[in-house]
Amino acid sequence: MTVEFSKENGLTSDRTVIKIADIDFSITSADPDLKIHIQETSKDFVTYGANSEITMEARWGDISTMELKGQKLFESDAVWQLFQKNGFYLFSFTSRALGPVPYKVAQIQKDLTRGEVFLHRPYFNQDVLIYPLAFPLDELLCIHYLALGRGAEIHACGVIDSLGKGHMFVGQSGEGKTTMGRLWQNEPACTVLSDDRIILRRTGKELWMYGTPWHGEAGLASSARAPLTQIYFLQSNKKNEIVQLDTTEAMARLISCSFLPFYNPEAMEFTLGFFEEVTGAVPCYELKFFPDKKVIEFIKNLKN
Amino acid sequence: MSEKPEQDPRQPKKPYRKPELKQVPLRPEEAVLGFCKNKNTKGPGVGSCRRPVACYRQGS
Repeated sequence: MTVEFSKENGLTSDRTVIKIADIDFSITSADPDLKIHIQETSKDFVTYGANSEITMEARWGDISTMELKGQKLFESDAVWQLFQKNGFYLFSFTSRALGPVPYKVAQIQKDLTRGEVFLHRPYFNQDVLIYPLAFPLDELLCIHYLALGRGAEIHACGVIDSLGKGHMFVGQSGEGKTTMGRLWQNEPACTVLSDDRIILRRTGKELWMYGTPWHGEAGLASSARAPLTQIYFLQSNKKNEIVQLDTTEAMARLISCSFLPFYNPEAMEFTLGFFEEVTGAVPCYELKFFPDKKVIEFIKNLKN
Repeated sequence: MSEKPEQDPRQPKKPYRKPELKQVPLRPEEAVLGFCKNKNTKGPGVGSCRRPVACYRQGS
Protein backbone atom coordinates (compact mmCIF):
# COMPACT_ATOMS: atom_id res chain seq x y z
CA MET A 1 0.00 0.00 0.00
CA THR A 2 1.26 3.47 -0.78
CA VAL A 3 0.11 6.43 1.21
CA GLU A 4 1.11 9.98 0.47
CA PHE A 5 -0.18 13.04 2.15
CA SER A 6 0.27 16.70 1.50
CA LYS A 7 -1.77 19.67 2.61
CA GLU A 8 -2.25 20.64 -1.00
CA ASN A 9 -3.24 17.30 -2.39
CA GLY A 10 -4.75 15.45 0.56
CA LEU A 11 -4.31 11.72 1.03
CA THR A 12 -3.66 9.35 -1.86
CA SER A 13 -3.48 5.55 -1.57
CA ASP A 14 -4.55 2.16 -2.97
CA ARG A 15 -6.79 1.47 -0.01
CA THR A 16 -8.35 3.88 2.41
CA VAL A 17 -10.64 3.38 5.35
CA ILE A 18 -12.87 6.19 6.50
CA LYS A 19 -14.78 6.08 9.75
CA ILE A 20 -17.99 8.10 9.79
CA ALA A 21 -20.34 7.82 12.78
CA ASP A 22 -18.54 4.68 13.96
CA ILE A 23 -19.05 3.03 10.56
CA ASP A 24 -15.90 1.98 8.73
CA PHE A 25 -15.99 2.36 4.94
CA SER A 26 -13.09 0.85 3.06
CA ILE A 27 -12.34 1.91 -0.50
CA THR A 28 -9.88 -0.16 -2.50
CA SER A 29 -8.55 0.45 -5.96
CA ALA A 30 -8.65 -2.53 -8.32
CA ASP A 31 -6.50 -0.75 -10.91
CA PRO A 32 -2.86 0.27 -10.41
CA ASP A 33 -3.36 3.65 -12.04
CA LEU A 34 -6.42 4.48 -10.00
CA LYS A 35 -5.26 6.07 -6.77
CA ILE A 36 -7.82 6.79 -4.09
CA HIS A 37 -7.65 10.41 -3.10
CA ILE A 38 -9.08 11.78 0.11
CA GLN A 39 -9.60 15.51 0.42
CA GLU A 40 -7.60 17.31 3.09
CA THR A 41 -10.75 18.32 5.00
CA SER A 42 -11.69 14.62 5.36
CA LYS A 43 -8.38 13.46 6.82
CA ASP A 44 -9.80 13.53 10.35
CA PHE A 45 -12.01 10.62 9.27
CA VAL A 46 -9.29 8.41 7.85
CA THR A 47 -8.55 5.33 9.94
CA TYR A 48 -6.46 2.21 9.40
CA GLY A 49 -8.74 -0.63 10.51
CA ALA A 50 -8.47 -3.96 8.69
CA ASN A 51 -12.17 -4.77 9.00
CA SER A 52 -14.86 -2.57 7.56
CA GLU A 53 -18.62 -2.67 7.70
CA ILE A 54 -18.81 -1.35 4.14
CA THR A 55 -16.29 -2.49 1.55
CA MET A 56 -16.16 -0.79 -1.83
CA GLU A 57 -13.84 -1.59 -4.70
CA ALA A 58 -13.23 1.00 -7.40
CA ARG A 59 -12.12 0.29 -10.94
CA TRP A 60 -12.06 1.85 -14.35
CA GLY A 61 -14.66 0.66 -16.81
CA ASP A 62 -16.40 1.39 -20.07
CA ILE A 63 -19.86 2.10 -18.78
CA SER A 64 -21.21 2.56 -22.32
CA THR A 65 -21.02 -1.24 -22.72
CA MET A 66 -22.59 -2.08 -19.37
CA GLU A 67 -26.13 -3.38 -19.14
CA LEU A 68 -27.74 -0.98 -16.68
CA LYS A 69 -31.38 -1.77 -17.21
CA GLY A 70 -33.21 -2.82 -14.12
CA GLN A 71 -36.17 -1.69 -12.11
CA LYS A 72 -35.87 2.01 -11.49
CA LEU A 73 -36.44 2.76 -7.82
CA PHE A 74 -35.72 6.47 -7.78
CA GLU A 75 -34.95 9.39 -10.07
CA SER A 76 -33.33 12.29 -8.24
CA ASP A 77 -33.83 14.68 -11.18
CA ALA A 78 -30.20 15.56 -10.62
CA VAL A 79 -27.05 13.49 -11.12
CA TRP A 80 -28.17 10.15 -9.74
CA GLN A 81 -30.70 7.42 -10.33
CA LEU A 82 -31.26 4.23 -8.38
CA PHE A 83 -32.12 0.87 -9.92
CA GLN A 84 -32.38 -2.62 -8.56
CA LYS A 85 -31.19 -5.59 -10.55
CA ASN A 86 -30.46 -9.21 -9.62
CA GLY A 87 -30.66 -8.43 -5.92
CA PHE A 88 -28.27 -5.47 -6.13
CA TYR A 89 -28.72 -1.73 -5.97
CA LEU A 90 -27.34 0.15 -8.96
CA PHE A 91 -26.59 3.82 -8.40
CA SER A 92 -25.98 5.56 -11.71
CA PHE A 93 -24.44 9.04 -11.96
CA THR A 94 -24.76 11.13 -15.09
CA SER A 95 -23.67 14.68 -15.80
CA ARG A 96 -24.95 16.65 -18.76
CA ALA A 97 -21.60 18.42 -18.87
CA LEU A 98 -19.90 15.11 -19.62
CA GLY A 99 -22.29 13.28 -21.90
CA PRO A 100 -25.09 10.72 -21.91
CA VAL A 101 -23.04 7.84 -20.54
CA PRO A 102 -22.94 7.73 -16.73
CA TYR A 103 -19.59 8.87 -15.39
CA LYS A 104 -19.93 6.43 -12.50
CA VAL A 105 -21.98 3.38 -11.56
CA ALA A 106 -22.00 1.71 -8.17
CA GLN A 107 -23.30 -1.85 -7.85
CA ILE A 108 -23.99 -2.61 -4.21
CA GLN A 109 -25.45 -5.46 -2.22
CA LYS A 110 -28.81 -4.56 -0.74
CA ASP A 111 -27.44 -4.80 2.76
CA LEU A 112 -24.97 -2.08 1.69
CA THR A 113 -21.96 -3.99 3.00
CA ARG A 114 -20.13 -4.63 -0.26
CA GLY A 115 -20.02 -3.14 -3.71
CA GLU A 116 -18.09 -2.03 -6.75
CA VAL A 117 -17.70 1.42 -8.24
CA PHE A 118 -17.05 1.69 -11.97
CA LEU A 119 -15.63 4.95 -13.28
CA HIS A 120 -16.12 5.65 -16.98
CA ARG A 121 -12.51 5.80 -18.18
CA PRO A 122 -12.97 8.15 -21.17
CA TYR A 123 -14.29 10.90 -18.90
CA PHE A 124 -11.28 10.97 -16.61
CA ASN A 125 -7.90 12.44 -17.36
CA GLN A 126 -4.89 10.35 -16.42
CA ASP A 127 -3.54 12.92 -14.02
CA VAL A 128 -6.58 13.67 -11.93
CA LEU A 129 -6.95 12.53 -8.34
CA ILE A 130 -10.06 10.47 -7.77
CA TYR A 131 -12.28 9.95 -4.79
CA PRO A 132 -14.50 7.15 -6.13
CA LEU A 133 -17.23 7.80 -3.56
CA ALA A 134 -17.36 11.53 -4.40
CA PHE A 135 -20.59 13.39 -3.78
CA PRO A 136 -23.19 12.15 -3.60
CA LEU A 137 -22.19 8.44 -3.50
CA ASP A 138 -20.58 8.45 -0.05
CA GLU A 139 -23.61 10.15 1.44
CA LEU A 140 -26.02 7.87 -0.41
CA LEU A 141 -24.21 4.82 0.96
CA CYS A 142 -24.32 6.28 4.42
CA ILE A 143 -27.98 7.27 4.25
CA HIS A 144 -29.06 3.83 3.04
CA TYR A 145 -26.89 1.99 5.56
CA LEU A 146 -28.15 4.11 8.45
CA ALA A 147 -31.76 3.62 7.38
CA LEU A 148 -31.42 -0.14 7.93
CA GLY A 149 -32.04 0.39 11.65
CA ARG A 150 -28.90 2.34 12.49
CA GLY A 151 -29.67 6.07 12.48
CA ALA A 152 -30.17 9.04 10.18
CA GLU A 153 -28.34 11.93 8.56
CA ILE A 154 -29.64 15.41 9.31
CA HIS A 155 -29.13 18.74 7.53
CA ALA A 156 -27.68 20.38 10.58
CA CYS A 157 -24.77 22.02 12.32
CA GLY A 158 -23.60 20.21 15.43
CA VAL A 159 -21.73 21.68 18.38
CA ILE A 160 -20.25 20.11 21.51
CA ASP A 161 -20.24 22.75 24.23
CA SER A 162 -17.68 23.09 27.03
CA LEU A 163 -19.73 20.74 29.24
CA GLY A 164 -19.69 18.02 26.59
CA LYS A 165 -23.34 18.52 25.63
CA GLY A 166 -24.41 18.09 22.03
CA HIS A 167 -26.45 20.87 20.41
CA MET A 168 -27.90 20.20 16.98
CA PHE A 169 -28.92 23.23 14.89
CA VAL A 170 -31.20 22.04 12.10
CA GLY A 171 -32.13 23.95 8.98
CA GLN A 172 -32.38 23.92 5.24
CA SER A 173 -29.96 25.85 3.06
CA GLY A 174 -29.72 29.50 4.02
CA GLU A 175 -31.22 29.14 7.49
CA GLY A 176 -28.01 29.75 9.42
CA LYS A 177 -26.15 26.46 9.97
CA THR A 178 -22.82 27.75 8.71
CA THR A 179 -23.33 31.06 10.52
CA MET A 180 -23.99 29.17 13.75
CA GLY A 181 -20.93 26.98 13.18
CA ARG A 182 -18.71 30.03 12.70
CA LEU A 183 -20.07 31.65 15.87
CA TRP A 184 -19.13 28.58 17.94
CA GLN A 185 -15.90 27.88 16.09
CA ASN A 186 -13.57 29.71 18.46
CA GLU A 187 -15.50 29.20 21.68
CA PRO A 188 -13.20 27.77 24.37
CA ALA A 189 -13.46 24.00 24.83
CA CYS A 190 -16.19 23.71 22.17
CA THR A 191 -16.10 21.59 19.01
CA VAL A 192 -18.09 22.11 15.84
CA LEU A 193 -18.84 18.65 14.44
CA SER A 194 -20.03 19.93 11.07
CA ASP A 195 -21.65 23.08 9.75
CA ASP A 196 -23.86 21.10 7.37
CA ARG A 197 -24.36 17.39 8.08
CA ILE A 198 -24.87 15.55 11.36
CA ILE A 199 -25.53 11.86 11.89
CA LEU A 200 -27.73 10.67 14.74
CA ARG A 201 -27.40 7.17 16.16
CA ARG A 202 -28.47 5.39 19.30
CA THR A 203 -26.04 3.30 21.30
CA GLY A 204 -27.73 1.55 24.18
CA LYS A 205 -29.89 4.16 25.85
CA GLU A 206 -27.83 7.10 24.62
CA LEU A 207 -28.54 9.17 21.52
CA TRP A 208 -25.35 10.39 19.89
CA MET A 209 -24.67 13.06 17.34
CA TYR A 210 -21.66 12.59 15.11
CA GLY A 211 -19.67 14.90 12.91
CA THR A 212 -19.31 14.11 9.22
CA PRO A 213 -16.80 15.07 6.51
CA TRP A 214 -19.62 16.76 4.59
CA HIS A 215 -19.14 20.30 5.72
CA GLY A 216 -20.72 23.56 4.65
CA GLU A 217 -19.11 26.76 3.49
CA ALA A 218 -17.20 27.19 6.75
CA GLY A 219 -15.40 23.88 6.10
CA LEU A 220 -16.01 22.65 9.65
CA ALA A 221 -15.78 18.85 9.96
CA SER A 222 -14.86 16.74 12.96
CA SER A 223 -15.08 13.00 13.53
CA ALA A 224 -15.99 13.50 17.20
CA ARG A 225 -19.34 12.68 18.77
CA ALA A 226 -21.40 13.82 21.75
CA PRO A 227 -24.61 12.88 23.50
CA LEU A 228 -27.48 14.75 21.87
CA THR A 229 -29.02 17.09 24.43
CA GLN A 230 -30.92 19.71 22.44
CA ILE A 231 -32.32 20.25 18.97
CA TYR A 232 -32.91 23.72 17.54
CA PHE A 233 -34.67 24.48 14.28
CA LEU A 234 -33.03 27.63 12.97
CA GLN A 235 -34.51 30.81 11.63
CA SER A 236 -32.71 34.14 11.34
CA ASN A 237 -34.25 37.07 13.19
CA LYS A 238 -33.53 40.56 14.53
CA LYS A 239 -33.31 39.23 18.07
CA ASN A 240 -32.91 35.92 19.86
CA GLU A 241 -36.17 34.13 20.62
CA ILE A 242 -36.91 30.54 21.43
CA VAL A 243 -40.07 28.45 21.51
CA GLN A 244 -40.24 24.82 22.60
CA LEU A 245 -41.90 22.59 20.02
CA ASP A 246 -44.15 19.64 20.68
CA THR A 247 -43.00 16.23 19.52
CA THR A 248 -45.26 16.15 16.48
CA GLU A 249 -44.06 19.44 15.06
CA ALA A 250 -40.44 18.71 15.90
CA MET A 251 -40.68 15.37 14.16
CA ALA A 252 -42.22 16.88 11.02
CA ARG A 253 -39.52 19.50 10.87
CA LEU A 254 -36.80 16.93 11.44
CA ILE A 255 -38.10 14.85 8.54
CA SER A 256 -38.08 17.91 6.28
CA CYS A 257 -34.39 18.48 7.07
CA SER A 258 -33.16 14.91 6.75
CA PHE A 259 -31.70 12.79 3.99
CA LEU A 260 -33.81 9.69 3.69
CA PRO A 261 -34.50 6.91 1.20
CA PHE A 262 -38.12 7.99 0.73
CA TYR A 263 -38.73 5.16 -1.75
CA ASN A 264 -37.95 2.41 0.78
CA PRO A 265 -40.98 1.69 3.02
CA GLU A 266 -39.03 -0.38 5.58
CA ALA A 267 -36.37 2.29 5.87
CA MET A 268 -39.00 5.00 6.33
CA GLU A 269 -40.80 2.95 8.96
CA PHE A 270 -37.58 2.65 10.94
CA THR A 271 -36.73 6.34 10.47
CA LEU A 272 -40.13 7.61 11.59
CA GLY A 273 -39.87 5.49 14.72
CA PHE A 274 -36.33 6.69 15.31
CA PHE A 275 -37.34 10.36 14.92
CA GLU A 276 -40.25 9.85 17.29
CA GLU A 277 -37.77 8.49 19.79
CA VAL A 278 -35.32 11.36 19.21
CA THR A 279 -37.87 14.16 19.48
CA GLY A 280 -39.37 12.55 22.56
CA ALA A 281 -36.00 12.17 24.26
CA VAL A 282 -34.52 15.66 23.96
CA PRO A 283 -36.06 19.14 24.06
CA CYS A 284 -36.71 20.57 20.59
CA TYR A 285 -36.94 24.29 19.95
CA GLU A 286 -37.54 26.77 17.23
CA LEU A 287 -34.59 29.16 17.58
CA LYS A 288 -34.96 32.55 15.94
CA PHE A 289 -31.56 34.12 16.22
CA PHE A 290 -29.58 37.20 15.44
CA PRO A 291 -26.21 36.17 14.06
CA ASP A 292 -23.77 37.37 16.68
CA LYS A 293 -22.02 35.82 19.67
CA LYS A 294 -24.87 36.74 22.03
CA VAL A 295 -26.80 33.73 20.78
CA ILE A 296 -24.22 31.45 22.41
CA GLU A 297 -24.84 32.97 25.84
CA PHE A 298 -28.56 32.87 25.08
CA ILE A 299 -28.32 29.11 24.50
CA LYS A 300 -26.06 28.51 27.50
CA ASN A 301 -28.57 30.29 29.74
CA LEU A 302 -31.51 28.14 28.65
CA LYS A 303 -33.07 26.21 31.50
CA ASN A 304 -34.16 22.70 30.65
CA MET B 1 -62.63 -8.94 20.18
CA SER B 2 -60.61 -5.98 21.36
CA GLU B 3 -61.42 -4.09 24.49
CA LYS B 4 -60.82 -0.41 24.94
CA PRO B 5 -58.30 0.06 27.75
CA GLU B 6 -59.80 1.64 30.83
CA GLN B 7 -58.53 5.10 31.61
CA ASP B 8 -56.62 5.46 34.87
CA PRO B 9 -58.93 7.62 37.05
CA ARG B 10 -55.88 9.13 38.77
CA GLN B 11 -54.68 10.62 35.48
CA PRO B 12 -56.35 13.90 34.56
CA LYS B 13 -57.97 13.87 31.16
CA LYS B 14 -55.95 15.70 28.54
CA PRO B 15 -57.64 18.93 27.44
CA TYR B 16 -59.11 18.81 23.96
CA ARG B 17 -57.02 20.49 21.30
CA LYS B 18 -58.64 21.35 18.06
CA PRO B 19 -56.77 19.74 15.20
CA GLU B 20 -54.74 22.19 13.19
CA LEU B 21 -52.91 21.86 9.95
CA LYS B 22 -49.31 23.02 9.80
CA GLN B 23 -47.22 23.03 6.70
CA VAL B 24 -43.56 22.10 6.89
CA PRO B 25 -41.49 23.23 3.93
CA LEU B 26 -39.63 20.49 2.10
CA ARG B 27 -36.99 21.21 -0.48
CA PRO B 28 -36.91 18.12 -2.66
CA GLU B 29 -33.68 19.09 -4.42
CA GLU B 30 -31.92 19.22 -1.05
CA ALA B 31 -33.60 16.15 0.40
CA VAL B 32 -32.38 13.93 -2.44
CA LEU B 33 -28.83 15.30 -2.53
CA GLY B 34 -29.72 16.83 -5.82
CA PHE B 35 -27.21 19.60 -6.18
CA CYS B 36 -23.82 20.82 -5.16
CA LYS B 37 -23.53 24.53 -4.58
CA ASN B 38 -19.99 24.60 -3.34
CA LYS B 39 -18.30 27.28 -5.41
CA ASN B 40 -14.84 25.99 -4.60
CA THR B 41 -15.07 22.49 -6.00
CA LYS B 42 -15.63 21.11 -9.43
CA GLY B 43 -18.23 18.43 -9.60
CA PRO B 44 -20.84 16.77 -11.69
CA GLY B 45 -23.66 18.47 -9.85
CA VAL B 46 -22.76 22.02 -10.87
CA GLY B 47 -23.29 23.60 -14.24
CA SER B 48 -19.69 24.62 -14.76
CA CYS B 49 -18.41 21.15 -14.01
CA ARG B 50 -16.28 19.55 -16.69
CA ARG B 51 -14.50 16.75 -14.88
CA PRO B 52 -16.04 14.44 -12.28
CA VAL B 53 -13.18 14.65 -9.89
CA ALA B 54 -13.73 16.61 -6.76
CA CYS B 55 -17.33 17.02 -5.80
CA TYR B 56 -17.11 16.33 -2.10
CA ARG B 57 -20.08 18.02 -0.67
CA GLN B 58 -23.33 19.79 -1.01
CA GLY B 59 -23.75 23.37 0.09
CA SER B 60 -25.09 24.34 3.49
